Amino acid sequence: MQPIITIRQLNKQYGEKIVLRDINLNIYPGQIIGYIGPNGAGKSTTVKILTGIIQDYSGEVMVFGKNLRDNVLEVKSKVGYIPEVAELYDLLTPREYLAFIGKLYHLPDDVIEDRSRKMLDSFSLLGNIDQRMDSFSKGMRQKVLITSGLLHKPSIVIMDEPLSGLDANAVILIKELLQALKQEGKTIFYCSHMMDVVEKVSDRIVLINNGSIMADGTIDELRQNSTDSLEQIFQRLTSGGNQVQKADDLAAAMNDRV
Amino acid sequence: MNKFFLFLVMLPSALWRSLGADIGQLRAILNTKLLLDDRNPMTIGRMNKPKKERKYGTLINIFASCALGFVYMFPLIVVKDRVFSLTIYFSFLLTVITLMLITDFSNVLFDFRDKYILFPRPVNDRTLVLARLLHVFIYLFRIVLPMSLPTWIMLGYLDGWKSAALFPLPLIMMVFMALFIVNSVYLVVLKLAKPEKFKDIMNYFQVITSVIFFTSVYLMPRFFNPEHPHESSILNYAWLKFVPSYWLGVCWSWIGYPVELAGTSFLSILAIVFPLLCMYVLVKKLAPEFSRKISGIDAVETGEVAAQGTKRVPAGSFYKKLAYAFNKSDDAKAGFMIAWLQTSRSRSFRMRVYPTFAYIPVYFFYLLTSRKTSIGITFSNLGNGHMNLLLLYMSSFVLISAMAYLTMSDQYKAGWIYYSTPVEKPGRIMIGAFKALWVKYFLPFFICIAAFVLYVWGMPSVIDIILALLNVTLFVACMARISYRHLPFSIMEQAKQGGSRILKSFIVMIIPTMLGAGHYLSLDLWWLKLLFFVLSAILLWLVLDSYSNTSWDNMLKAETE
Repeated sequence: MQPIITIRQLNKQYGEKIVLRDINLNIYPGQIIGYIGPNGAGKSTTVKILTGIIQDYSGEVMVFGKNLRDNVLEVKSKVGYIPEVAELYDLLTPREYLAFIGKLYHLPDDVIEDRSRKMLDSFSLLGNIDQRMDSFSKGMRQKVLITSGLLHKPSIVIMDEPLSGLDANAVILIKELLQALKQEGKTIFYCSHMMDVVEKVSDRIVLINNGSIMADGTIDELRQNSTDSLEQIFQRLTSGGNQVQKADDLAAAMNDRV
Repeated sequence: MNKFFLFLVMLPSALWRSLGADIGQLRAILNTKLLLDDRNPMTIGRMNKPKKERKYGTLINIFASCALGFVYMFPLIVVKDRVFSLTIYFSFLLTVITLMLITDFSNVLFDFRDKYILFPRPVNDRTLVLARLLHVFIYLFRIVLPMSLPTWIMLGYLDGWKSAALFPLPLIMMVFMALFIVNSVYLVVLKLAKPEKFKDIMNYFQVITSVIFFTSVYLMPRFFNPEHPHESSILNYAWLKFVPSYWLGVCWSWIGYPVELAGTSFLSILAIVFPLLCMYVLVKKLAPEFSRKISGIDAVETGEVAAQGTKRVPAGSFYKKLAYAFNKSDDAKAGFMIAWLQTSRSRSFRMRVYPTFAYIPVYFFYLLTSRKTSIGITFSNLGNGHMNLLLLYMSSFVLISAMAYLTMSDQYKAGWIYYSTPVEKPGRIMIGAFKALWVKYFLPFFICIAAFVLYVWGMPSVIDIILALLNVTLFVACMARISYRHLPFSIMEQAKQGGSRILKSFIVMIIPTMLGAGHYLSLDLWWLKLLFFVLSAILLWLVLDSYSNTSWDNMLKAETE
């Protein structure tokens, strides 16, 4: 099977700071990739490169067998991006915002309207379709954001902490959605800190730390015959020391205050 | 520079302490806010490019403020009575900085980040209110200082060192006055309005006040006899003694300058006492309510959480029909739609752009009536002159002002969407947004003006109306192509640029006048008018085409310039 995304020798640095170093990755169609790592590991930078937002990197990124750098518009039209923070023009209503986004993806009006209604209905937001989003809770905004990322039926869905701000029912819905999208043959690149969710939904887990891939495989391959949870594996591979000791030190530091 | 200003405002620490502020916290808050101002985050579009040093930005701002200061210095030269001339001077300056405070600094005054960062900390209300006031004071003083420099030097030259030495004290008091006047009005609005309605009320209050102030600036020159300015006497305007700027002017009686309005020397005490009293009332008495009310208001553009919960926006399709009628590409349609919707709902946009609709008739009225003839005669002779051209070309201010604020938004971070969607040329979105503003704001206004012109000047002016419409669109399209190559609502608003924005809008008034002058020259030559029309049409087509072909590289280059 041909990989849908191929990353070769990907490097990125901001000034002196190296954010990504020699990333090599093959992602196959229909896979859910759990992309995890501590803060500042380079997850968001990878995501921004894959979505075409950042274009000054070194190395090669092939999507659908085409060089991303040379076919950025074609790739963008087939990728759906759902960022962590729901930054949207919230003076608009969901209907207006989705019409705007739909136009940027060159979708016909009737298709935008039809898909928007159906998707918002699934999120129980159809009743709010004509309300300005500045009155929405964080979870409601996140649902509109997810809708806007899936509106154009992307082949690859890139999610950066999509569960941020969602209530328990919505989290269950998203987990089910991930499986449904997988069934449809879509490839999902899923960044998260929520280890239990990543462990449950991912076919393959890529762990990145300090800009380099530390581990890459199924959860069973990462366990290496142990019974460790993903959280424990994560801690072992990324932590600079004993977390219990660090917590004790933190508490002790507060006791020293005058 | 920040350190110097911080040092300056912390000099009367004992006074701040006596008002109930915690000095350590006050200094820490101010220090952090000033630091944040210097480190405004970059927009999304710039994230890939190193930030270019805005080396000359501050210098240009200082120079522009200084240039404006030369204009305000005028009363000092033409009016002999020092108290009167300084009263006029302080009136000008007080008006301008109050206007700035209302239009550009309300975001600083109501920094809603405080709600999440400072409100949960053990900081008392008085420290919070004082920190806000002093923060804005530093902003204002940065602008006022270069603006008053020419007057300061001129005072030293004309009157000697005593007058120059006295000048900074009333100047500082004037800044405090402006600050407290605006704050007091805000507090009254806060007291009367529900928190969720406060922002809308304040928004319309800002629009109305801007118009009133603008109108008063143009009526002020009536204070002195334009034919014999040296003979203007304050005795004809005895009511001035009730105006704070007179209290500032009368301070010069301390160094021996005569006071024409007998028995009013004592009012100079008010110049010092009035701001201090305002500060006392504001910080000591009203601070707790101020903080409480502020906490009831949500972030900058999101004021109606409770009230709007069930409010529905009609899902109208009129703007969509227009978007399809005026644009071919989907990107341009998207640009048209976002500009149409967002400009109706953004308070900051309304506040900046709506007053322009009033400025134009006011300015036109001012230009008409500044002649030596009476208003009645002026209007009856209006049809005989060529003031119609002036009016038609002045309509461009509406479009210029709308274009200037189209790219800015409190929600600039939402602009990430342009970068992750398959947008081939950002220029297409820009041209769509430009057309939306043209159709929504400029065209209806221009039609009103054209109707007035037709009524007064008759049918022969139809050709002039069409040529002016073309020229104004051409001029603003050129400006957009040169200065506004940014995506709509994708750039952060920066309060620091507030002063220069107002200066720019004043300076920009001259350029369409020049284009109108060309039109004026061709008035009696029909073939020249026709040639002008054809040339303008070709140029407009070329400029709009170039604007819509703005590439990502062009845009990023424009942003880093």
